[in-house]
Amino acid sequence: MTQALINGLVLGANYALMALGLTLIFALMGVLNFAHGQLYVLGGFVTYYVFTVMGLPFVVAVLASIVVLAIVGFLFDALFFRRVQQRSAREESSMLLAAGLALLLESLILLGFGEKQRGVALSVSGVYQIFDAYVPASRVVVFVVAMLAVVLFILFMRHTKPGRVLRAIAQDRDVTALQGVNIALYSGVGFAIGSALAGLAGSLLVTIFAVNSGMGTAISIKAFIMVMLGGAGIVSGAIVGAFVLGMVEALGYAFLPGSVTYLVIFVGLILFLVIRPNGIMGKPWG
Amino acid sequence: MTRLLDLRSISAAYDRVRALQDVSLHVDKGEVIALIGANGAGKSTILRAITGLIRPVAGEIHLESERIDGLRPDQIVRRNVAMVPEGRRIYPLMTVKENLLMGAYKRSDKAGILQDLERLFVRFPRLKERLSQSAGSLSGGEQQMVAIGRALMARPTLLLLDEPSLGLAPQVVREIARTIRDLNREEGMSIILVEQNSRMALKISNRAYGLSTGKIVISGISRDLLSDDRIREIYLGGAV
Repeated sequence: MTQALINGLVLGANYALMALGLTLIFALMGVLNFAHGQLYVLGGFVTYYVFTVMGLPFVVAVLASIVVLAIVGFLFDALFFRRVQQRSAREESSMLLAAGLALLLESLILLGFGEKQRGVALSVSGVYQIFDAYVPASRVVVFVVAMLAVVLFILFMRHTKPGRVLRAIAQDRDVTALQGVNIALYSGVGFAIGSALAGLAGSLLVTIFAVNSGMGTAISIKAFIMVMLGGAGIVSGAIVGAFVLGMVEALGYAFLPGSVTYLVIFVGLILFLVIRPNGIMGKPWG
Repeated sequence: MTRLLDLRSISAAYDRVRALQDVSLHVDKGEVIALIGANGAGKSTILRAITGLIRPVAGEIHLESERIDGLRPDQIVRRNVAMVPEGRRIYPLMTVKENLLMGAYKRSDKAGILQDLERLFVRFPRLKERLSQSAGSLSGGEQQMVAIGRALMARPTLLLLDEPSLGLAPQVVREIARTIRDLNREEGMSIILVEQNSRMALKISNRAYGLSTGKIVISGISRDLLSDDRIREIYLGGAV
């Protein structure tokens, strides 16, 4: 039991990174980013390549994932989303674009890293005993780094000028342009941060779950579940949704037969949304 | 007087529906200009064209002898133009202070920003009391003060106000009218005031343009227009 709860916490912290990235992009662009799972997968592969293939330190591999994904995110916006949104105000256009980019990214990952499943064995010596559970030090590292990133993200959004500008754009795009903000630039920055968060989650979790080029969509769906659970566009909602899903998943894997866990999660989500369609944290924007 | 803003034969459209037709108007330095007319006459569209939120399909806009139509909104407001949008459009989930700081976004002089905040609190003491409250929890009048304060934090030389009296109690409307007059007289700010409350707008402006279905149908000195029969009939409706 304790073991499952601890696994849930580690999962939850990393899921929070994904959910925050997804919710940030949603709040800024009004786009549900269907390519979010592929960004996570790319983050995992970059870490695998830098750490296992090139043999560089894990810290360097994590930073490489963050930087590569930030660049990919910025380009996604500059090359695709910005152009489409200039021509078409319809949400479906951006949604279709995101779905197309998911396929594109998946193919590029397949071309670049092959079809094999890849994992990273992070060897940090030491095992912690917490009540009756044994937690390898590598998991502690993964948990602490993810939590640190969540806290840094929140501080950035709350207390810095760029963070304030991103919140302003989420609330009113035109009016923020009227304050002198270059919206296109900031949208790119927001997309870069959202993508980097997904990449960081992939980079950290690849030490626990191997990645393969075809798993992106399943990851995206997980991210959507978290955001729907918590409430779209809300920072606190993304975090709560992530930890709820992480816990349920960890408990399910511990106590239910294999494939039943996600069946239970989906049925539970549907029932939950019938009762509370806006998610745990209620109305949008917080 | 020197010319500050010049609109020359501007036409504009939303989704190919004509919203402005051959509109020419100008603002000299230190002037208060009123744009009056019914809902949908094109008053707000003129402000949206000046700030670059829409691009005119024909005509030119000049600000201090520089052509600005075709520039992005952020490029235009960097030329010391600020707007108080219709319906206030404050950031409801930000604190009053964060709202005001967004207005000072393009400035980097910290000392000057703090100084301007203090000056703003002299003008609107209530904002100081509400500084750390979320702006969405304020009353309509207080929200309008936040919207005006946010625009003033940009230190504009040209201030655009879109229906500042809309939905506010008469005493608040009087307070805002007084503020507009003070900004013009004490700080020499040039102002374009878009209003459906034509009487108020004509009382505090130097000149006015009357719009109807996207065209300027009458213009002149505000004092004269107040007693003009055509204006009475169309915009003042005899009542009030």
